[in-house]
Amino acid sequence: MIELQDALRKKEIWAIGGGKGGIGKSLITGNIGICLARLKQKVLLVDADLGGANLHTTLGIGVPETTLSDFLNRHTENIQDVIIKTDIPNLSLISGAQDFLDAANPNFAQKTRLLRHLETLDADFILLDLGAGTSFNIIDFFLFSDHGILVVLPEPTAIENAYRFIKSAFYRRFKKVVTHQGIKDLIDAAMDQKNAMGVRTPFDLIERVKQMEKEVGEILELEVLKFRPKLIVNQVRTKNDIQIGFSMKSACQKYFGINLEYLGYVEYDDCVWQSIRSKRPLTIEYPYSRPSRCIERIVNNLLRKEQFTLSMLY
Amino acid sequence: MIKKIEDLNFYELLEISPQATSQEIHKAYERIRRVYDPNSIALYSLFTSEETAAIHQRIEEAYRTLVYEDNRKKYDAMLRSRNELPETPSPPSPAPRFQPRPIEASSPAYQENQYSVSSSHAMPLAAPRPDQEGVSPVSPFIAEFTGPVIKLLREQAGLSVRNIAEMTKVSVRYLELIEEENFKKLPARAYIRGFLMLYAKALGYDPDRMSSDYLKRYDAATGFPYSLRKKPQV
Repeated sequence: MIELQDALRKKEIWAIGGGKGGIGKSLITGNIGICLARLKQKVLLVDADLGGANLHTTLGIGVPETTLSDFLNRHTENIQDVIIKTDIPNLSLISGAQDFLDAANPNFAQKTRLLRHLETLDADFILLDLGAGTSFNIIDFFLFSDHGILVVLPEPTAIENAYRFIKSAFYRRFKKVVTHQGIKDLIDAAMDQKNAMGVRTPFDLIERVKQMEKEVGEILELEVLKFRPKLIVNQVRTKNDIQIGFSMKSACQKYFGINLEYLGYVEYDDCVWQSIRSKRPLTIEYPYSRPSRCIERIVNNLLRKEQFTLSMLY
Repeated sequence: MIKKIEDLNFYELLEISPQATSQEIHKAYERIRRVYDPNSIALYSLFTSEETAAIHQRIEEAYRTLVYEDNRKKYDAMLRSRNELPETPSPPSPAPRFQPRPIEASSPAYQENQYSVSSSHAMPLAAPRPDQEGVSPVSPFIAEFTGPVIKLLREQAGLSVRNIAEMTKVSVRYLELIEEENFKKLPARAYIRGFLMLYAKALGYDPDRMSSDYLKRYDAATGFPYSLRKKPQV
């Protein structure tokens, strides 16, 4: 199903997640959007943080009148009606749910309807700002996108959640490609780190699946190679913090077998805090600040499908 | 094909190619060792402390094996027997740290530069190579550092232009232009000076002496205006 969607799609959908809250997902999403819009790309930002939407605030827009909840709640049938134009040329926004208590947990039908409608929209880039946590809704948006981008802080808590997020996304992706109920149960069981079967890493799981059904195991191996999440390290203060991205890339390769792509980092700077306080977007209020430059570099890497390398550092 | 961390060969573990030079191996080791440091927060929640310790031990083992040429050859042969390494000639042995010899009196460069011999231009005598001790003593009063002399010194040290390029990070093209004294194609004077300093360090000669010698010839040939060489007197 995922492959078919890929083939039909022309625009690119990027999802920005990360597991932990307060790590700058919305800020980075908003400013990546602004950078792309400046490059004359038609950009639509979607606040998919259904429980705690505030992407509009990072863009300096007040509480919007129409939000995603109007669409999910079927107050309007057309997703076009909830799109808000911003002051920035080429940039529009679908704000997150504000008033709809159950919006944080849309049911399966609501979610698929939303994704289906997103597909029909006219834009060069659709950026999904995901909420915190590793719930199925968030993971599904992440897997639905062309590029899943993870944000971490150089802190153990954020890194722990990022790995948890990768693992959840990874196993959910596995579950989508297998039909065998026994294997699905095995994947579910493997999610529990202390499972009785001794399945600790994805390698253990694949080996176990291969013993059950060899072809399915090989399909899962292919899935591992296809899954290439991207990484942004935010609030970097030292050179060692920058290195964490490379370390995580190496650890992911060796632990999950996943190729994590390091897009770049965003430096810690008071101007970020000031821009949020003044409710003005960072890349507009402080376009020449170091964090703005960092975001521009990340957008550049994303567009060229390149990764951040050590040689860019020195 | 994905592999478990225990099944990775030493090259995969250190994330280097089987053709890596000893310098690259050392760099990779330093980097990977930092990644799998028990206190590294990038591993947090992924590996247990026992696993980290085991990985650490394997990294040490990988480094000890690959950094010694003999051990590495044995290891490569073992990998080849398991079809993990393509059947290619063993990687070029990394350039040894060398001590260049002074130019021998009989060499063409010596003859060529006889005209400029003077005591004030005494070339600093480079320490003889330990394995070459006892080689015919050469006059220290050789010549100035010209392109051909530099080339000869390099060849005597048993180094190719590519070796020098690897050590200095100056491109092969510029190094060749320097040796050819192709002043027209070389970049601006300030860059040449930088390249020469690096080249001199790589060969083990006095960087200031080599660059000033060379640039004198450059200035004479290009007619570099004197006023730009020295700060104007106020």
